[in-house]
Amino acid sequence: MLALIAPAVLALVLFQVVPILSGANTSFRDWSLHDPKRTWIGLANYDHVLRDSDFIGTVLPNTFGFMAASVACSLVLGLLLALMLHRRWPGRGLVQSIILLPLMVAPVIAAIMIRWMFNDQFGIVNVVLEGLGLAPVSWLTGRWTAFFVILLTDVWLWTPWFALILLAGLESLPREPFEAAQIDAAGAWRTFRYITLPMLRPVMVVCIVIRAIDAFRTFDIVWTITGGGPARGTELFSIYAYVESFQFLNLGRGSAAAVIGAIIIVIFALALYRILNRFVEVSR
Amino acid sequence: MNATAIAGAEPAGFFAALAPGGKRVLFALAAIAVCVPFAFPVLWLVLTSLRPGSGVYYVHRGTEFTIDNYYEVLSQPIVLQALFNSFMISTLATVLSLGVTATSGYMLSRFRGPVPNAWFSLIYIFRCVPYVSWVLPLYFVTQRLGIFDTYWGLLLPHVAVHICFFSWIMKGFFDGIDPSMEYAAMIDGCSRWGAFWRVAMPAAIPGLTALAILCWLYTWNEFLFALILTSHETPILTVVMAQFVHELGMEWHLMSATAVLALGPALIVTLFGQKYVLRGLRV
Repeated sequence: MLALIAPAVLALVLFQVVPILSGANTSFRDWSLHDPKRTWIGLANYDHVLRDSDFIGTVLPNTFGFMAASVACSLVLGLLLALMLHRRWPGRGLVQSIILLPLMVAPVIAAIMIRWMFNDQFGIVNVVLEGLGLAPVSWLTGRWTAFFVILLTDVWLWTPWFALILLAGLESLPREPFEAAQIDAAGAWRTFRYITLPMLRPVMVVCIVIRAIDAFRTFDIVWTITGGGPARGTELFSIYAYVESFQFLNLGRGSAAAVIGAIIIVIFALALYRILNRFVEVSR
Repeated sequence: MNATAIAGAEPAGFFAALAPGGKRVLFALAAIAVCVPFAFPVLWLVLTSLRPGSGVYYVHRGTEFTIDNYYEVLSQPIVLQALFNSFMISTLATVLSLGVTATSGYMLSRFRGPVPNAWFSLIYIFRCVPYVSWVLPLYFVTQRLGIFDTYWGLLLPHVAVHICFFSWIMKGFFDGIDPSMEYAAMIDGCSRWGAFWRVAMPAAIPGLTALAILCWLYTWNEFLFALILTSHETPILTVVMAQFVHELGMEWHLMSATAVLALGPALIVTLFGQKYVLRGLRV
């Protein structure tokens, strides 16, 4: 039994546990450039991060707001797509192949491409806006418009994932309740609301949990599109830890932020796990 | 009640109100409304890659198209090297990850007790830990081990990332396979290992294929690890591509050409494996 997991445990310990512990060690030390001795300073880094108004006032609300908005939008759009693909109609295969595109494109390519499309001088989006007689928008210089572009990229990347999983879920539902609803002449909305949705709930919960945890640690698309700007307005927690470590060159403070984020998400994930266990038997 | 009566009762709602053929038009419009937003950024990428460097800022205007960008990109040795490296890393990471997680998922599915429980909780928690918490120290760990900027230095961290999620999915595959065949094999004198290798593994092949495709795509598209754990010795395609667009020079046409080259293999893998990917996405 132990031999079966030995290689996995070894790889996990060496390349995940050791780095995390070493990162935690860093977070208790003064790692700034003028202190070559890496003095142990206890919780001072944590204190600093937790008192930083940027972290409390901007980064955390951004992270949770982004997580909620991203999951909600992709879930709703994905569900609509899945319902659409669940019907038999001629163009179905084509649509299904096309929505696979975002799964193939590297997130960093997608992010660069969307940044290019939303470029304030040369981007196609502003060209179209001007063609429609509207004023061009400088998308990436305003906090909320930049946030919108990031969210759009994320939804573009992840809606197909939701759609395909929910579609697989829809196709595995038993036929009988739907036939019974038809015999009772239930309308489309009531069938959806009282039969499809409750039966699909386990799959939706699993999707939401997986995606929420991933959305919390989003790094590459935000880094590529705005780099956290304008003026730290779109900084998520991963970006904050990276910027503290590598741009302000304070590895201790960056690590403390990373540890705080890890603790928040693990607590959050354990709560989600309880919810998950109520709907689906995950562990057993 | 027969089938026609059920079918006859159906169009009582929204669709009945449409003119004949209206349903078809509506679905065609819906299909276009879905396809355009999902296809457009990729289409735009391809168009940008076909524009000469002088016309790249006005992709929507002008009709000059050229494939010189591809020649220029492919004539750079670093791009060819990166294509090769990305391919090798993705393939090796897929083989290693599946090998390691198949046994781990099998163990989670077939054994009971404190050890599997502890292992399951551990991988669930480690799946949640954000990448930033360990990618930076990982840089020092790979340097300490002397594998920074080599294949191993990127491969093994990739495998470590995949362990958590894939063990969970693998457990699902093995849960779906009836263990009584393995018990029969063991009664007939097969060892536990033999039962796993000769009975459970062949039955799990469809699931493994799906996971292999997803794993390959994921590694091929990965950016953050490649950015931090490699340097000049082992260029990786996503990193090389992103380097065409930095503050010093925005070479959009070259970036797009490289991105299209990167998209090629992913497209081939996905199209051939579409059936398996759809199955692999079932949680």
